[in-house]
Amino acid sequence: MGIRQTLDNLEPHFHKGGKYEKWYPLYEAVDTIFYSPPSVTKTTAHVRDGIDLKRIMITVWLCTFPAMFFGMWNAGWLANSAIADGYASMDGWREAILMVLASGHDPDSLWANFVLGATYFLPIYLVTFIVGGFWEVLFAVKRGHEVNEGFFVTSVLYALVLPATIPLWQVALGITFGVVIGKEIFGGTGKNFLNPALTGRAFLYFAYPAQISGDAVWVAADGYTGATPLSIAFQEGMVELTSQYSWWDAFIGYLPGSVGEVSTLAIFIGAAVLLWTKIASWRIMLGCMIGMAGTSVLFNLVGSESNPMFAMPWYWHLVIGGFAFGMVFMATDPVSASMTNPGRLIFGILIGVMTVLIRVVNPAFPEGIMLAILFANLFAPLIDHFFVQANIKRRMRRVGAPAEETA
Amino acid sequence: MSAVTPKGVLTTPIFNNNPIALQVLGICSALAVTTSMSVSLVMALAVISVTAFSNLFVSLIRHHIPSSIRIIVQMTIIASLVIVVDQVLKAYAYEMSKQLSVFVGLIITNCIVMGRAEGFAMQNSPGLSFLDGIGNGLGYGFILMTVGFVRELLGSGSVFGFTILPTVQDGGWYVPNGLLLLPPSAFFIIGLIIWALRSTHPEQVEANEFKMKENTQPKEAV
Amino acid sequence: MAQSNNSIKKILTVAFALCIVCSVIVSTAAVALRPKQQLNQELDRKTNILSVANLYEPGMDVESAFGEVTPRVVDMRSGEYTDEFDPETFDHFQAARDPAMGRTLSGDRDIAGLSRVENFATVYLVGDPEDPDQIILPIRGQGLWGLMRGFMSVEGDGNTIVGITYYEHSETPGLGAEVNNPRWQAQWEGKKIFSDEADLAPAIHLTKGGANDETEIDALSGATLTSNGVTNMLQFWLSPEGFGTYLARFRSGVDHEEVQEADVELEAEA
Repeated sequence: MGIRQTLDNLEPHFHKGGKYEKWYPLYEAVDTIFYSPPSVTKTTAHVRDGIDLKRIMITVWLCTFPAMFFGMWNAGWLANSAIADGYASMDGWREAILMVLASGHDPDSLWANFVLGATYFLPIYLVTFIVGGFWEVLFAVKRGHEVNEGFFVTSVLYALVLPATIPLWQVALGITFGVVIGKEIFGGTGKNFLNPALTGRAFLYFAYPAQISGDAVWVAADGYTGATPLSIAFQEGMVELTSQYSWWDAFIGYLPGSVGEVSTLAIFIGAAVLLWTKIASWRIMLGCMIGMAGTSVLFNLVGSESNPMFAMPWYWHLVIGGFAFGMVFMATDPVSASMTNPGRLIFGILIGVMTVLIRVVNPAFPEGIMLAILFANLFAPLIDHFFVQANIKRRMRRVGAPAEETA
Repeated sequence: MSAVTPKGVLTTPIFNNNPIALQVLGICSALAVTTSMSVSLVMALAVISVTAFSNLFVSLIRHHIPSSIRIIVQMTIIASLVIVVDQVLKAYAYEMSKQLSVFVGLIITNCIVMGRAEGFAMQNSPGLSFLDGIGNGLGYGFILMTVGFVRELLGSGSVFGFTILPTVQDGGWYVPNGLLLLPPSAFFIIGLIIWALRSTHPEQVEANEFKMKENTQPKEAV
Repeated sequence: MAQSNNSIKKILTVAFALCIVCSVIVSTAAVALRPKQQLNQELDRKTNILSVANLYEPGMDVESAFGEVTPRVVDMRSGEYTDEFDPETFDHFQAARDPAMGRTLSGDRDIAGLSRVENFATVYLVGDPEDPDQIILPIRGQGLWGLMRGFMSVEGDGNTIVGITYYEHSETPGLGAEVNNPRWQAQWEGKKIFSDEADLAPAIHLTKGGANDETEIDALSGATLTSNGVTNMLQFWLSPEGFGTYLARFRSGVDHEEVQEADVELEAEA
């Protein structure tokens, strides 16, 4: 019990009046990494549940792993394939690591792809973690709240929605904006009305659109350019898209995109766990699917001569771009989504509808899921308000008095 | 508001009672014209002169303005001044007026001008009112210039058109931040300025509208 | 005091006096400053024209430099000059709307997204009007967010580009708005409109991933749709639908008469 003792010995210094009083949040964070929190419910009301915030966050974190590992392989595979086609590789330390561990750009080698992808993804994740963690701790110390495990999830989600080739300084700027403006300004975890990971990405999206807007692909080979599946569909039509990628390619993830979003299959594996453990709301996911499918069917029926995106069927909308990732991991964020059950369904539908609307009709943005979720985040309190009011009215009619306020 | 002294009316609106940061007035033009510092400066000067002179004229005739039509009277004075300023800019600073486009005309709807005419000039002497107009214009200009500075420096790598950070498009190293070229970015910057101002002037923080009830007191389960 | 202020008589007097004073001030300012404003507008237009021809330097005397420039109105159908209109006052934006002076475009012919186009346009000739050093053509077309208006300058051979500039557009700052970045504009100099002297269809276009041909220009990074808009408007205005017939006068490889005939057929089709 060496750690427990060390921590216990240190503890008095961090309490009120101790010499490191200011740093209590850091102490608390380290303590709760090793041990379950000592605080227990002291009042008469008890909730007996094996799952606490920390366990929720760790489960979500683990659920992103299939998408994360597949994404790393995918990033490496795309780069290696491009290099095998004659494009020069990006030199530098990544090349050196690859040569040591995998000895060559072989797109058929699982290991070579994975290592190359990891040399892109891991630095992004690391930078996210360090920079975002810095802000988190700074605000925790300044404001006297505890460092929240939610940041684990924010950081991994943020890293996963970035393209592999993004410059690391942009990663740092984005997470700074996401954590500070998206969350801490409003008082930290639980009080933010926007998803911080998406807020960070949205910042990068508008600040450095040339690197991230999603109309050119992100393949780590020198001089390689091309259009993303969404922008192929937008500019050249479904026929061109289906001739380049089959639906199964897109579903499994053999196509370019941000690290975490490529494989719909891997995302669904995570989704299954989230739904089974009831961490993610099935209503939100269902709403997203209904909204997306309904709107795309509507566009299919309306049809358009000049805009080929009208013809994209719903099952394609599902597998290309970030729709699946956004629906499973971003829309279901419990803080920024709607809290009432019927509200969650509406919230999901709003996301689905907006995503397709932006993808199809807006000429400037090929991808719509990020903006759709942020947009729906803004509406979540309003949606909740209506359902809460409706419930109060119903109770009023039934018992003639509002639910008694719990003191 | 602090005592009505010439120095007070001139300086309090800059930090202590800033029309944008505390009263949150005149935001729309602050979003639109702050992509570059020179445009912000011209806009600030235009607003300073309109606020100062509209205050002066309203104050001069304040004893003769019938209360039933006072808003219309103030509006007419402001509108005339704005048109004159717009015409002068078109004649002597054509490039600027092209960039400011409709926003000079929209000074008419800038709540700061109207607010000072109704709130200050109607009760105070012409001299003080004139200074108050300049002070509030300065407060507006201060925010405008700060926002303009951040947006121009980080968005285009220059200050007053002089390159400070050579951008990638021009063969330099700085990757300009496109968000700052878009009007909504001014919201973030104004928000951060308000945050900074309220941290240094805690008296500007509004009282809470409500207070959360304390959690239940711990007591032993029976 | 307050009571007398609110009498009907006082209200009317104050309102009337205020209106008189304000209208005098406003109209004096407007009338006194109008010549200066018009001069500014004129100067601005001339500066745009000179800068696309690479003749503009900051601080120069625009008026005297503009002396070398002769405006002429061209009938785009025949490619001939016309004296029907005064080039100083001819407004081709208005002409496009006039049923007698313009025509409606539809479908595939309207690649620049104009819906109506005029039959006459003012071109600016630099140097000797009979054998100009440069021909400056007005162009316009849809970008991403709206209409982009600008000028293009072509050398006396009717094929080599001198420069391009947009004086009015609403593209995204930092992306599409880079059409006015001097660095991007600089690469137009010396490019060719047509890949072959005998061609009528313009070959000039924007391309992604590096221009490596004299009819290719680097696309604007991150602004696919603005780039497409620029390509489309050039394809339109430099084809026989636009100035193609007129440019044929200056080119060595095509016979002007033939082009005119081809153009007449084209008109008939429409």
